[in-house]
Amino acid sequence: MSKPAMQLVNLKKTIGSKPIIKGLDFDIRAGEVFGFLGPNGAGKTTTIRMMVGLIDITEGDVLIEGKSIKTDFKGAIQHVGAIVENPEMYPFLSGWKNLKQYARMVEGVTDERIKEVVSLVGLEKAIHEKAGRYSLGMRQRLGIAQALLHGPSILILDEPTNGLDPSGIREIRKYIRNLAEKENVAVIVSSHLLTEIELMCDRIGVIKNGELIAIKEVRAVENEEALKEVYIEVEPMDTAKTYLDGHLANEVGVGSKELSMSVKREEIPHILKNLMELGISIYGVRVLQATLEDKFFDLIGENTIE
Amino acid sequence: MNNFMKLIWNEQIKLYAKKGTWVMFAVLLVIAIGGGLITKFFGTESDFKEYGDGWQTELQEENAQLTAEMADEEFGGFMNDMIIAENNYHLENNIKPQPYDGWEYVLENSFLTSVISLFTIIVAAGIISNEFKWGTIKLLLIRPISRTKILLSKYVSVLIFALTLLIFLLLASWLVGAVLFGLNGLNPMIVQDMMPGYAYNDVLGEIAKSYGFSIVTLVMMATFAFMISAIFRSSGMAIGLAIFLMMAGNTIVAFLSQYEWSKFILFANTNLQQYTNGTEPMISGMSMTFSIIVLLVYFAIFMGAAWAAFTKRDVAGN
Repeated sequence: MSKPAMQLVNLKKTIGSKPIIKGLDFDIRAGEVFGFLGPNGAGKTTTIRMMVGLIDITEGDVLIEGKSIKTDFKGAIQHVGAIVENPEMYPFLSGWKNLKQYARMVEGVTDERIKEVVSLVGLEKAIHEKAGRYSLGMRQRLGIAQALLHGPSILILDEPTNGLDPSGIREIRKYIRNLAEKENVAVIVSSHLLTEIELMCDRIGVIKNGELIAIKEVRAVENEEALKEVYIEVEPMDTAKTYLDGHLANEVGVGSKELSMSVKREEIPHILKNLMELGISIYGVRVLQATLEDKFFDLIGENTIE
Repeated sequence: MNNFMKLIWNEQIKLYAKKGTWVMFAVLLVIAIGGGLITKFFGTESDFKEYGDGWQTELQEENAQLTAEMADEEFGGFMNDMIIAENNYHLENNIKPQPYDGWEYVLENSFLTSVISLFTIIVAAGIISNEFKWGTIKLLLIRPISRTKILLSKYVSVLIFALTLLIFLLLASWLVGAVLFGLNGLNPMIVQDMMPGYAYNDVLGEIAKSYGFSIVTLVMMATFAFMISAIFRSSGMAIGLAIFLMMAGNTIVAFLSQYEWSKFILFANTNLQQYTNGTEPMISGMSMTFSIIVLLVYFAIFMGAAWAAFTKRDVAGN
């Protein structure tokens, strides 16, 4: 296991007497894409702002490459590139001049490097136009370019696919995967687009009311030997139900044409074989794919803000 | 240090990328040209009169004529009195009068530093709050640069801007003055109405004094606007408050001058010129040293408050 690029240690934020973030503890590893999920008001943006030192940490710490954002701000932040909420730019400067602004604030970002990043995000054509005329998608790309200029080892992207068209989303996704896999960058992506997180991330952390309520490997989620919802269209239904009731632990539901049941994936062929041996006709079998979205809502319950 | 220069460079680029900044320069230029033309075509004739070798006789004749005029006319007496008094000063001190020239025009335009103060306040008020308005503050503060350094670079940028406007005004006035009125040498001596009395000074010294003293108010008000901008993150409030105080400052002091503590009011101290012409200061017990100390204390408070607000507070919700 590689050493963590970023560590959140009992991270807390209290505003007035109201706890906003109630003690977050997790690591983000180099080379992984970490999805930060949560309903609105859960504390995603507050957490991200603490990660980059925009707001004070009430208790706990954020360690970036082992350096505390509280006590060694410069040492920690130089490893980070970020977009916090919307990618805002100086509207009266061209895209290029916007990037030059940020290039001047760190050592060693040459014009060649800027060009490289610009072509990476596919903004060559519009780079000398004023940023005020950019579409949201173009601003998003410029925002990502700005975050990548100094070659950070941690990239924090708040809603990175917001405002992009489907092909743009696919490109950014590919690019983020590439950064993680080839450049060993740790990418933290917050999003409400759950399908996006699912396609892009290696791990997801789910936050609700300022608490981390789950942290899961996306691959593990897929291969889990969990119970699946299976629907079988059979004739006659009552014979089939009698058999299933006798053999399955869970209750069998009766629909208009189908029987529904919760079984493990490996049990499905066995059940079908037995049903056929009993002379029951099977017209169709479908397995309900539990998406991350379902799991997400299972985890967070309803979207309540305390 | 190198990276501090780059921060200032960044600020200057942002400043001059905006049309409003260029409008400020254009306004100064228009006033400088317009003022010159008005002086040229509607100015007092006697100011432009060239005197020959027998200038003493010419002045005496002029005085006699003016006195005669005053006896005939009811109006214009005040102007004539002034010209006679000035002519007498020339005669008594044996100074040959010289026609109005470009240097004097530059000196007269020192009142335009209040316009520069106004423009500087507008820039100082916006330089922090605009970053919040645009949302770019988040991108600015997540670089490996301390907030203190960013704040300082912005403040220094405001001062550089004020200085640029000042140099621009001097050059524009000098060029307009030189073209319209000509120049009486490189650093001519001029006779100034000190009210009361007259003085004979070199023009460059007077220009330096006049513009120099006005910088005090400029810097103090710009610093004030800068502080409000850092605390409230709103340029409108900073501009409004600073301009109101700049305009109303003297009235406030006059209104409160009966109280002993009024000498500690900022505006009672911004006019350092009050100590140079030998007259009694506005409020007794005040001196140049006293005022400079009061100004420094205000300056420290303004900068301290701006620093605390900018470096300590959370950047949330922008």
